[in-house]
Amino acid sequence: MMQRAATSILPTAGNMLASAQQQRGMATLKTISMRLKSVKNIQKITQSMKMVSAAKYARAERELKQARPYGEGSKQFYEKAEVVAPEKTEETKKLYIAMSSDRGLCGAIHSGICRHIRADLAADSSIKVICVGDKSRAILQRLYAKNILMVASEVGRLAPQFLDASKLANEVMNLEYEFTDGKIMYNRFKSVVSYSISDLPVFSLKSVESAPKLAVYDSLDSDVIQNYLEFSLASMLFFAMKEGACAEQSSRMTAMDNASKNAGEMIDKLTLTFNRTRQAVITRELIEIISGAAALS
Amino acid sequence: MTAWRQAGLNYINYSNIAARILRRTLKPEARVEAAKRDESHIRFTPWTNGKPTRKDAVESA
Repeated sequence: MMQRAATSILPTAGNMLASAQQQRGMATLKTISMRLKSVKNIQKITQSMKMVSAAKYARAERELKQARPYGEGSKQFYEKAEVVAPEKTEETKKLYIAMSSDRGLCGAIHSGICRHIRADLAADSSIKVICVGDKSRAILQRLYAKNILMVASEVGRLAPQFLDASKLANEVMNLEYEFTDGKIMYNRFKSVVSYSISDLPVFSLKSVESAPKLAVYDSLDSDVIQNYLEFSLASMLFFAMKEGACAEQSSRMTAMDNASKNAGEMIDKLTLTFNRTRQAVITRELIEIISGAAALS
Repeated sequence: MTAWRQAGLNYINYSNIAARILRRTLKPEARVEAAKRDESHIRFTPWTNGKPTRKDAVESA
């Protein structure tokens, strides 16, 4: 401060202003070019991320087609047998399973799921949640950390396998929390551009055994029902994982496409301002030279 | 009551063991592809009272 105040006494006010302006002009030129470079780099990154997710999406969709019967079949059973969740009382214990993944940059995939769960949690705070993937944990832990029972991580780096789903199902069944019914919240993949938040029901053995239309199925004893229930939980989790993974990749593809497009727009604008500023600097320098020459003659 | 349930397995354990054995019996060219389906990296952290119970698994961010 002191130094600057001291030097400002020497040159005249007009000189100061001119040099400051020039400095600012030079600086903007430099900052614009730096900015331009960084935006170009970001665009390169988003473009390559789009390529990667496009390749992953193609694979996820192919695998989803094979996984669909697992989920549809299990769902059909519950619909045909008309299994219903027990009436809400003091004893009902609800369990939500949030299907997200560890990876971000894919639009509203994770936040959509969490928004739904949050709305239900706000209405009924006794619901417990299992977060599959770090993203849903990060979102839900801020307000509803006490409702989280378990977090599954390392999801989404690789395509989900049935073994992942069966490990998860195992953990769900071995919980100390004995849920009466529950929901698997996942993103259902519709097309490349759309997905919707859906849920799959999860029931306890007791509510399945008391289902009114269980008689449509032949030769059921409690052993068979228990086996099927265990298998159907794993297969529904598998299905939800596959749907979620596919929706995530497609959504990441669109998100990255939009990001590249926006970066492109920004690059155009920045190039324009860069060129304009450059022109202005050149013009000013020319004026200075010419007026200097005119003053000499 | 089946024998495997008496041994403390549930249907998922049982069928996964069966699947693993089946994958091992495949012809070599098919086995490589099938072996990829036999791995999983998922990890679990139980939470109580809003905190992960094992500190090392999930950082408390």
